[in-house]
Amino acid sequence: MQTISAVYAYTFKEHIRHKAWLSGALFGLVLLGGALIVSALGQDERGRLMLDLGLAAIEAISLVSIVFLTVNLILVEIESRAIYLILSHPVRRADYLLGRFLGTVAAVALGMAVMAAMHAALLGLYGWWEPGRYLAALGCMLGKTAVMGALSLLLSLALTSEAAAMAFAVFLWLLGHFSSEMRFLADRSGSAFLKTALVAFSHAAPDFAHFNYRDFWHQPAPSADWLMWAALYALAYTAACLALAVQVFEQKEF
Amino acid sequence: MNAIRFQKVSKIYRRSHLGRTTETPGLVELDLDIPKGEVFGLLGLNGSGKTTAIKLLMGLHLPTTGEVETLGRRAPDVAVLARIGYAPEAAYLNKTLTGRENLSLFAALSGIAGAQRERRVTEMLVKVGLDKAMDKRLSEYSKGMLQRASLAQALVHDPELVILDEPVTGLDPLAIKEVRALILWLKSKGKTVLFSSHDISEVERVCDRIGILSGGRLVKVMTQDEWRGKADALETAFAAAVVRTDGVGPIRME
Repeated sequence: MQTISAVYAYTFKEHIRHKAWLSGALFGLVLLGGALIVSALGQDERGRLMLDLGLAAIEAISLVSIVFLTVNLILVEIESRAIYLILSHPVRRADYLLGRFLGTVAAVALGMAVMAAMHAALLGLYGWWEPGRYLAALGCMLGKTAVMGALSLLLSLALTSEAAAMAFAVFLWLLGHFSSEMRFLADRSGSAFLKTALVAFSHAAPDFAHFNYRDFWHQPAPSADWLMWAALYALAYTAACLALAVQVFEQKEF
Repeated sequence: MNAIRFQKVSKIYRRSHLGRTTETPGLVELDLDIPKGEVFGLLGLNGSGKTTAIKLLMGLHLPTTGEVETLGRRAPDVAVLARIGYAPEAAYLNKTLTGRENLSLFAALSGIAGAQRERRVTEMLVKVGLDKAMDKRLSEYSKGMLQRASLAQALVHDPELVILDEPVTGLDPLAIKEVRALILWLKSKGKTVLFSSHDISEVERVCDRIGILSGGRLVKVMTQDEWRGKADALETAFAAAVVRTDGVGPIRME
């Protein structure tokens, strides 16, 4: 546990000192631009548009950050050879990987929290204040972020090329929004090969329908069951990706 | 009792490209025992297998055949790394951290508990002369300061076996003198020291025994009696034993 927390702490510090503030600055610009655009609209429309724009920007910035950071997370340490010194101490590779992953997710989550605080303050000015639904939406984004982080980490270790890992991560992210459509197509398909491929892709890619907070946006709040399943799915998918990543990492020589 | 034992150890590097696999021998049937308390020097040209042998000891590489033992445990063994200190040929440290944070990280990874850690870290930074720069980031350190920080991480957990990969390469004469004094101090404390070097004059000043590697093979082992008081004995033996394998010819002066 001491090993995981030590690796977690230095990873978190590393991200904060490097570039984490950039996401807040970028989001500030998006909000400023959005506020200028919607200033001509009526009070109700302003609030709704700022809500949609803000949540979409938080999600996009967080996903880009997590994919970029996790793809580079281990490859950069291998390239700089800093990994020699870490692994020449009594550190299990699984602990190192978990600490690095958690530190990165925590740094991105901090960025999300900063962006959400700025966004919530602006929404407050427009008279929109529903913390329950807003927090549930942020929770869904965090689940998606953790899943994409674990998947990108696995891809970076399996492919050992930043560009290829990023391209595959984006491809799987896109597929993840069409899981039910892929299964529907598989049911309708006459070709056994296509059916197998579609079913395989629909299971390998994350199913982001579990995190679609827009499903409950017009209800008072999401049900506890829905939230629990979303959390369980995020945990299970993340754990599976990390377990595979550990298997790949254990075979590596430096 | 041996601190280090190589038993018929070979390491073959295999690289595949476009379906063609090339094999390069890193080490060939290395048999070597280094008893506890000895200072042993590995001498050899670039690509002779010095770093490969060290990486096998640290579990960063796995042998293709044969067995490697460190402090009585078969490598790779994560637990035994708590009793080994390793400084690579360059200071592969995370430059975003301060000197203190960096050493505290390695102390934590080595299993030193929180209360004792701070004291140990400060003591070690004083010992390597970095106490005045301990709160500066490593990105602000000079090469000599980074080398000291690297030595500090190798010694912070008071290891029984210290492995130094080319510790004097690129250092100024004063720093070389200090590293020499450090190795002799470690010997006086009963530690086993293995270090690799190109520098024959350094090796002959501090080693009890040396091994000459050429093309991955251990071609000669000499004891102190064979070179002490005999001018150029080690250099002559080295020149006679090694063969260039890097495809570089001699400098011609006609």
